[in-house]
Amino acid sequence: MYLAIKELKHSKLRFLLIGAITVLIAWLVFILCGLGNGLTTLSAATLKNMDADYVAFEEGSRASMSRSVISETLVDDLKQQSGVEDASPVGATSLTVINESSSDNEKVDVSIIGVIPGSFLEPEIVEGKPLQKDQPLEVIANDSLKKKGYEVGDTLKIEGSLEKMKIVGFVTNETYNHLPAIFTTLDKWRSIQFAAPGSNKGVEKPVNAIVMQGENINAEKLNKEFDNIEVVTKAKAIQGVPGYKEENGTIMMMLTFLLVISAFVLGVFFYVLTLQKSNQFGVLKAIGASNRFLAKIIVSQVFLLSLTSVIIGILLTYVTALILPDEMPFALDVKLVILYSILLILISTLGSLASVRRIVKIDPLLAIGRVE
Amino acid sequence: MPVLEFKNVSKIYKQGENEVQALNDVSLTVEQGEFIAVIGPSGSGKSTFLSIAGALLNPTQGEVILNGKNLHEIKPKDLAKVRLHEIGFILQTSNLVPYLNVLDQLLVVKRMAGKVTKEDKQYAIQLLQELGLGEKLKKFPEQLSGGERQRTAIARAFMNNPSIILADEPTASLDSKRAFEVVQLIAKETKLRNKAAIMVTHDERMLEYCDKVYRMEDGRLSLDETSTHKK
Repeated sequence: MYLAIKELKHSKLRFLLIGAITVLIAWLVFILCGLGNGLTTLSAATLKNMDADYVAFEEGSRASMSRSVISETLVDDLKQQSGVEDASPVGATSLTVINESSSDNEKVDVSIIGVIPGSFLEPEIVEGKPLQKDQPLEVIANDSLKKKGYEVGDTLKIEGSLEKMKIVGFVTNETYNHLPAIFTTLDKWRSIQFAAPGSNKGVEKPVNAIVMQGENINAEKLNKEFDNIEVVTKAKAIQGVPGYKEENGTIMMMLTFLLVISAFVLGVFFYVLTLQKSNQFGVLKAIGASNRFLAKIIVSQVFLLSLTSVIIGILLTYVTALILPDEMPFALDVKLVILYSILLILISTLGSLASVRRIVKIDPLLAIGRVE
Repeated sequence: MPVLEFKNVSKIYKQGENEVQALNDVSLTVEQGEFIAVIGPSGSGKSTFLSIAGALLNPTQGEVILNGKNLHEIKPKDLAKVRLHEIGFILQTSNLVPYLNVLDQLLVVKRMAGKVTKEDKQYAIQLLQELGLGEKLKKFPEQLSGGERQRTAIARAFMNNPSIILADEPTASLDSKRAFEVVQLIAKETKLRNKAAIMVTHDERMLEYCDKVYRMEDGRLSLDETSTHKK
């Protein structure tokens, strides 16, 4: 470490340049990480927040709520099954609402989520009061709507319909299908979703899915027992949200590339530097330095450089987060930031192994009989 | 007991079909307190001789015994330790680490062996003072003259208290005055600390400081009676 730091200090410019590149890469990694996290939250936070283990959809819907219509009557049957601790139906619809209580008639796209009031699917409110069974007009909305001027007591009109709703409370971090979520009772949701005659496909008390609690649920057994449902894990259900897989996949691909690039940039830089210093390493080996001693210099330099770059990258990312517009789906998760920091440092340090290999091969004989 | 002993050492390099005999049946003993020189034209096998003496190269035939230990019997990965503890190298120019100051050049040897103690630091400073570098402890190699760099290298060679000093053309690229100074210092430190030293050189002006002079020609080593007796 001592020699590593001495050299870093002695050749400041050289190492500052490579450090700057790794800072930029780390910065980009964390921004992508924040964007990815923001996007997936926007796309499926409501589903993610659910305290659930398995979800039952209509057979053939491939774990997507928008493709699935099943009957609420199944809830009681499912509750009877072994491993199922609780089950509750849910429905989701995207539509446009207008705030009647506000003077400007700005329309807002929202996801309407129908749940049974008081069930484990109703999120906790942060303001106002929760849903009531006998108050079909009352809804609770995601607090992101507050920024658009919505308040407790506001009346919402659903566009293209005569249905109206009244906000009685706010919940936080509830978005679905990239839209802020509004929770309502199942009956109210049904009257919106299946307003057109025949749209319920003849299903009695239709819902989109039934969410179940119970770690020991045997999905395969349930699939066999019930003819027209498919039971999947919550994780699989999240993957089924339209666009989720695609968004997540794109971001993950970019992140993977960046991690590999950072390893290569540092790896190649130090490899070339090692080649350049072959004679110096040869002399050190001749006077008794072991491979281990020399390898430690390179590895600790790469480690120090990537550590410093990652720290600067994190600071820059948090500064960027302050500047980014509110509409941008940017959400930094401390856990993810730490995970990617460790990954970046680890992979970069792995990149230095090429140099270590080179050092092992350097022959101390280089030092003898060399006239300059 | 001699510090270094060569017993019928030969080295053959294979270059494709051809074989080059770099050392041919070389025998030699070096005693404590002895400063010997090996001279000869380039290509005569001097570098091969020094590389074998310095545990950097294995002989094709024969034995090399350093301090009673047969180098042949030491595992390759432990040879670095032998070089670190038993041998002090003084190489040609530009063999200092560019990012270390003069004092650190010496201490790095201790660092390779483990920790640097206060005593090590004092010893290093004392060595450097003896070699006239007391004022240059914090200078980097690029700020030193050729002679000063070579004197630093001498100090480094003595730092780990080795049994033998091996000098590879220590006067190359120095003017006469500096060259004499450097060889004189090697001789002085060798006698002072009762070490053995071998200097390989093609510079015949430097021989007056040496106890014995060997001549290397086409891989054969012979005692140069005239140079040795001139003393």
